[in-house]
Amino acid sequence: MLTCKEQVARSSDYLDGQLTFRERLLVRHHLMFCPNCRRFIRQMRLMQATLKIMPDEPVEGVEALAQRLAEERLKDHKGGD
Amino acid sequence: MAAADDTHLLERLLKGEQRAYKELVTTYQSAMRAVAYAIVGQRHADEVVQDAWLSVVRNLARFEGRSSLKTWLLTITANAAKGRYKQNRREVLLDDLPSPHGTIGDDRFSPDDGHWAVAPYAWHQDTPEALLTEDELRKCLEHTLLSLSELQSSVLVLRERQGLELEEICNLLTLSLSNVRVLLHRARLKVFATVEHFEETGEC
Repeated sequence: MLTCKEQVARSSDYLDGQLTFRERLLVRHHLMFCPNCRRFIRQMRLMQATLKIMPDEPVEGVEALAQRLAEERLKDHKGGD
Repeated sequence: MAAADDTHLLERLLKGEQRAYKELVTTYQSAMRAVAYAIVGQRHADEVVQDAWLSVVRNLARFEGRSSLKTWLLTITANAAKGRYKQNRREVLLDDLPSPHGTIGDDRFSPDDGHWAVAPYAWHQDTPEALLTEDELRKCLEHTLLSLSELQSSVLVLRERQGLELEEICNLLTLSLSNVRVLLHRARLKVFATVEHFEETGEC
């Protein structure tokens, strides 16, 4: 049986599907009997989901960049490709 | 973005439609910046992204759709970054900087049996939306992300926010899978510690 510390050490690999079949079973087995680690994994997933939906910092100067890139493309295009 | 969307966007880009470029920049600039940030660091990331955009435009007609548009853009960014700054960053690869709220470290576990000595605190919210209604927490998370090393932060952003597979991250940043796993795990534990601290104390 894994200790809680060992479970936490494997938690990212568990969440990313990087564990071997045997290791995954060990983690699942531990989670079945350990409410603290179940909470930990649940909150790790919540943390992941939170990072995912955090609003992006607005990109500055999008309009100017878009204009420059469009112009660049048209310039190249006239050069023939 | 699905392949069909890529194709449609690409047609508009090839015609030089400014709105299509705006869409492109808005959708992909953050991911490109994360790649540049990981390779050349904060000081040069913006320049590299600019270079990458120009390179994207010049090579647009050659994009064949063998990879997704996103993968293609990120590969160009990684190449722009690597080409421009060849100095060695390997020595700081796994550098672990202190984070504002620490991490889930050894001190959380009993040295005798490896069980939790200080159990994970139960958060008050159980959805990401509910967590983020606290503007303070969002600021706090941003602060923690900025405290991570450039590589740790980029790997975390590329995985959690951009949804890249670990293998893609390895290829883009020329890192081994085991290094990416270590970087990601350490970054996550620090962010976890920040949310936990906030949930427990209501303060950043």
